[in-house]
Amino acid sequence: MRKPVVHSSSRQLFVLPTLLVFSNLLSSCGTTQPEYFSPSQSSVAARKMQARVFSSVEEPDVMSAAAAVLQDMGYTIDEVELPLGVISASKRANATSRLQAFGSLTLDSMKCAFTFLIACDGARYGEIDDVQDIRLTIVSMPKGNGDVTVRVTIQRRIYDKRGRLSEQSTISDADVYESLFAKLSKSVFLEQQGI
Amino acid sequence: MTRYLLVLVPILALTACASRNSAITESDSQVHVRQMQTRIYDSLDKSDTLRSVLATLQDLGFVIDTADYEMATITATRLQEYELRVTVTVKDRKNNQLAVRANARVDDQLIDDPHTYQDFFTVLDKAIFLTRHNVN
Repeated sequence: MRKPVVHSSSRQLFVLPTLLVFSNLLSSCGTTQPEYFSPSQSSVAARKMQARVFSSVEEPDVMSAAAAVLQDMGYTIDEVELPLGVISASKRANATSRLQAFGSLTLDSMKCAFTFLIACDGARYGEIDDVQDIRLTIVSMPKGNGDVTVRVTIQRRIYDKRGRLSEQSTISDADVYESLFAKLSKSVFLEQQGI
Repeated sequence: MTRYLLVLVPILALTACASRNSAITESDSQVHVRQMQTRIYDSLDKSDTLRSVLATLQDLGFVIDTADYEMATITATRLQEYELRVTVTVKDRKNNQLAVRANARVDDQLIDDPHTYQDFFTVLDKAIFLTRHNVN
């Protein structure tokens, strides 16, 4: 008795989709979440940018100087935990860029003119960055030798004129941290002098 | 037709409400979640551990939202294309041990991947080592 022969073409028709389904299943099993807690390769550089060592100073004095410098810069303090050396603060500030505003206004005006005043909706103007919410943390860490390491992390959210979130990020501009530490150094000095 | 609609609409409204409310108390097996999110450390000081947690979070680019020594709880946020929020707690255990637990969310999603928590504890291990040896 002859066995029924499956023609190669019809077998392919059956095998191919099956393979596809299995490979799909396998690949979906292999997908993992992004590596949220893996330190990036630049974390050493980031630490260098975000941290400074203050010599011959007590930790509470550094904390007090940090709170004062935050007030100098117009921040309001959200969280202080002295036993852990933590201060977190925030402020809302202007985020408008004149160049961006000029570009958007020009585009809106052109659209308005070319459509003979039909499409004067100011759509681009609504997308201009308006305000930013800046949040930062200052953490002090006493070293064994009487020095205190201070590390700062800063982040912000930018909203457009319509109140929509247009950007959220961690600040990685070295100049910002440089400027903050210059002010903190001055503040530590002033605190030590009792000013 | 209208009769069907009269029945369908309240049912849809009720199910939508039920699924929305289920998010309030949803959780995987509590024992499994705790195991995944917790690591036990031997003979560590609570203060040093909390400071190591702070160092870890700053290394990972977080800003600290709240930190409480008494409750040994730290909550932090990282802003990228997404918003990553994490709470870390430190608890005393028997035999001079400490249990460090971290739970995290990305935007509206729970992080339930054990590898992600392993990554966190790998960075924390290093920070604890550095704190113990007073290297900052």
